[in-house]
Amino acid sequence: MTQSDETTQGINILVCAKFIVDPNQLQADAATGKPDFKRAAYRINTFDENAIEAALQLAAAHGGKVVAMSLIKQPPPREVMLKALAMGISALYLINDEEGVAADALTITQVLSAATRTIAEREGVAAWDLLLCGEASVDDYNGQVGPRLGTALDLPVITYASKLTLDGNRLGADRAVDDQSETVEVDLPALVTVGMEINDPRMPTVLQIMGAGRKPSIELGLSELGDLDRAALAAAVPLRNVETFAPPSSRKQVIIEGDTSQEVVEELLRRLGADGEVAF
Amino acid sequence: MAMQQGGILVCSEDQQVLGELLTIGRELATQADTGLTAVVTGKEAQAWAIDARARGADGILLVNTDASEATSAAAFSVVLYEAIQAAAPTVLLVGGTRVGAEIAARVAQRLGVACASDCMSLQIDGDGNLQVERRVYGGRFVARQVVCGLPRIATVQAKRFARAELMDGQAAAEIIEIEASLPASRVRTVSVSPRSQSQEDITKAEVLIAAGRGIKRVEDLEILEKLAAVLGGTMAGSRPLTGDVDWLPVDRRVGLSGQTVKPNLYVACGISGQIEHIVGMKGARTVVAINNDPKAPIHAESDYSLIGDLYELVPELVAACERARADGG
Repeated sequence: MTQSDETTQGINILVCAKFIVDPNQLQADAATGKPDFKRAAYRINTFDENAIEAALQLAAAHGGKVVAMSLIKQPPPREVMLKALAMGISALYLINDEEGVAADALTITQVLSAATRTIAEREGVAAWDLLLCGEASVDDYNGQVGPRLGTALDLPVITYASKLTLDGNRLGADRAVDDQSETVEVDLPALVTVGMEINDPRMPTVLQIMGAGRKPSIELGLSELGDLDRAALAAAVPLRNVETFAPPSSRKQVIIEGDTSQEVVEELLRRLGADGEVAF
Repeated sequence: MAMQQGGILVCSEDQQVLGELLTIGRELATQADTGLTAVVTGKEAQAWAIDARARGADGILLVNTDASEATSAAAFSVVLYEAIQAAAPTVLLVGGTRVGAEIAARVAQRLGVACASDCMSLQIDGDGNLQVERRVYGGRFVARQVVCGLPRIATVQAKRFARAELMDGQAAAEIIEIEASLPASRVRTVSVSPRSQSQEDITKAEVLIAAGRGIKRVEDLEILEKLAAVLGGTMAGSRPLTGDVDWLPVDRRVGLSGQTVKPNLYVACGISGQIEHIVGMKGARTVVAINNDPKAPIHAESDYSLIGDLYELVPELVAACERARADGG
């Protein structure tokens, strides 16, 4: 724990959360084949909900504070922000990059690493004990920001955690890498990324979401991030998006209907038989 | 020994994947009219070096680490950083495994450059930059992106490219050895265990019956096993069932963090169709989805959708198959 911090007992956790367009609800514009963002719903990145839940569970067991930060280009819908707060975090910091300077994992990391220190000052925390991230965001699926942020802040990094335990200052983690499972441990402070295996994130009730309006959501402009290296940010060459398009689908997308289950499955078998995929 | 500067550098902690990178690396080297160098390290480094040379690398950079072997992404990224200092590549390709994704992100951050993750196609554009295509937004969209910076870094989807063939004749590539000193690891490994493995290889199956979160209890998998039996298929699963619950061995996982499969028939049972999953089953010839949620994204990725309770529909389907067999067989 952070010894010099007298205001908070326990573990101080900063969670990186991203508000994203829900990929499951994102449709292609019929005319252009490009994603139709205007009609898409927003949500908290699923893995970041796992990160928030993991943070809340650690803080519930060991005491401490859970704060979340999110880099935004425009404020997300209020109900999505409130849901994050209603899960139980004590404050939500929105780093407003309205000029869209932070365009990829490299530049996002530059901004977020500076923001960790600004938010620590605002929260009266000497240094964060734990930074938690989802293993990737399900929109861009880069999976870079966690390990990049750990590298930028010179923190030990544990990726793909599926279980976390805290014993004093020692954080234990189970993690699933390609063909093996590992149990590892690290002395805090550290940065950890989590996947969907770690927990089932809580679903706040409508009342909790309404009540969360009293909790602080604090907007910070890039100019308010004291440690932000503007020259480095200006010099960075981010990944450049040329275009995003829906590849042509070759799927038939036939919904098989019938009055009874038996009719439905027999129609399926008839079709699969005609396609040559089943033969009896 | 002077190292040739510039060129394409490829690196993976997985030997199979390194062979795949030599395939796409060769394409890029030809496009850019430059050389292809493979990075190897660890106890088997000499054997890997000889293998990479036989698979067409123009140069091998063998990184010796003083005491311990680079097993973690943190250590491996130090090895790769030293290799980059020696070779000064214009393009760096890293294998798109979980470990590889972390290695690439760490190295890219240390170098202050961009990185494109899990690319499915890559080429050198007219400006000498790396143009890639990657799946985004649940796998339903493709982003075409350009990586600039020096080096231009990308991770490459595992199994996207065939492993480079062993070549006939004399391989002349030089093996250049460099040293890297690994920092003390701050993350301590307490234990390591191989994840459970199965007898059958789902990447070779012609019929796959895939289970998702719609399966409520491990014993309910039996319902799908009956369907697999009657269709001569193999069981597979999405990430929730092959993760920590281990209801199915992890090598049965279809998706971004698992296997890429190309069966003739793929029956997705109780699978919603997140990007994680879709990426792995796009290559199936015919896809059937059984799901009670008409809005589930799996339906857009399917040829035939049955909207309803899989606990009712699957046994009904098994019965229909058995009747068909009795009639037709």
